[in-house]
Amino acid sequence: MYDLIVLLVLLALGYGFGRYAESSHYKSIIKREKVLNAIPAVASKVVVPPRNDLNSQLVSGSVVISIDYFKRFIAGLRNIFGGRVTSYESLLDRARREAILRMKEEAKKLNAELVFNIKLETSSIHKGRGNSIGSVEVLAYGTALYPH
Amino acid sequence: MEYSNPDLPEGINTSKEHPLKEFFILTVGLLAVVFVAISILIIIVDNFADKIPFDMEKELPISSFIDKLETEKLPPYLNEITQKVLNTFDLPKDMDITFHYVNDDTVNAFATLGGHIVLYRGLLEKLKYEDELAMVIAHEIAHVKYRHPILSTSHGIVVGIVLSAVSSSSGNTVINDLMGSTGMASLMRFSRDFEYQADKDAINSLIKLYGHADGALGLFEVFNSISGDAPSFEFLATHPLTNNRISQTTKIINKSSHSKGSTKKLYPSEFKIWLENQKQMKTK
Repeated sequence: MYDLIVLLVLLALGYGFGRYAESSHYKSIIKREKVLNAIPAVASKVVVPPRNDLNSQLVSGSVVISIDYFKRFIAGLRNIFGGRVTSYESLLDRARREAILRMKEEAKKLNAELVFNIKLETSSIHKGRGNSIGSVEVLAYGTALYPH
Repeated sequence: MEYSNPDLPEGINTSKEHPLKEFFILTVGLLAVVFVAISILIIIVDNFADKIPFDMEKELPISSFIDKLETEKLPPYLNEITQKVLNTFDLPKDMDITFHYVNDDTVNAFATLGGHIVLYRGLLEKLKYEDELAMVIAHEIAHVKYRHPILSTSHGIVVGIVLSAVSSSSGNTVINDLMGSTGMASLMRFSRDFEYQADKDAINSLIKLYGHADGALGLFEVFNSISGDAPSFEFLATHPLTNNRISQTTKIINKSSHSKGSTKKLYPSEFKIWLENQKQMKTK
């Protein structure tokens, strides 16, 4: 019985804090994306036409986000029934967009016009304790082009 | 070529469904699946478990568990009553019952695998009448007669198998807690049926012995009066005493009681002194 009460309290805490963190993170992401869209980030490997008037430099941004108790619980249930793990979808969406934003912020410091050949990498951090720690890292990197 | 990043619309990579809705559907679904699976398996197991020969049940390594309780030999009075009650039962030949006494304050008595019945001093002290004592003993003998220990062990195994199957597929320790309580709920439902069955037989046994079953009602009154204040009152955990159970037994008693207003037999004074001595021995 006590186990159940502890479980419900943890779920409520996870839900409350998780929801708050997610909604405030999304607000900040949407706001910064509007500004940083001035520096386009594209996946193409070459810039057409070639721009000899610009320098290039590697820019990167990485972010680590942890899941909350509630998200983990729902994902565990999804392991049984199958279907979209929606609780992780929004988590990874936030992580990818945040990583690109941090990369663009670095590009902005260089006064870059464009970041091309961008790539994303995702890894989970749990060091063999997958049952108790669940964090995800997303790294975004690309080549920034900036004036001489 | 012009390069640009447009403002992408929200909600492509995420779901608009409220997470609490998903949580509710999944949790209720899981609990329902677990409950139904356990219930079906228990019904199936019930058809097989009581076919296990009693001799095989006796060979289960239960004696080490009994030894750990520091059981003692029954005093002559208890021996006499247990034999008297035992004689009212028509038990199969291979079903022999071993009684144990434990000098401990725990208010409990239970029957377990292999026909072992354990009586605690704590419970004996709470009673005043031989009839009530006989009711306790008859109730436990009836559990053995109907093979309840092996049935509930099988139920426990079924619950364990279902829970471990589900929890290993979810790979989540959190969900185990949740399912543990569902498993218990389905177990409780079945164990209540056992209590009714055992009560019925115990009342018949009392009527055979004394011509009435006032001991049963007296026992329930004792339980009701002490259930509030005794933390060591374990009897209720293993023998749920619901209002249903009381009303059902009252019905049986009213139907079959031959002599109303009859008197119950008090404990003999030697036994009361013996209990008192036992308590002092324990406190030393």
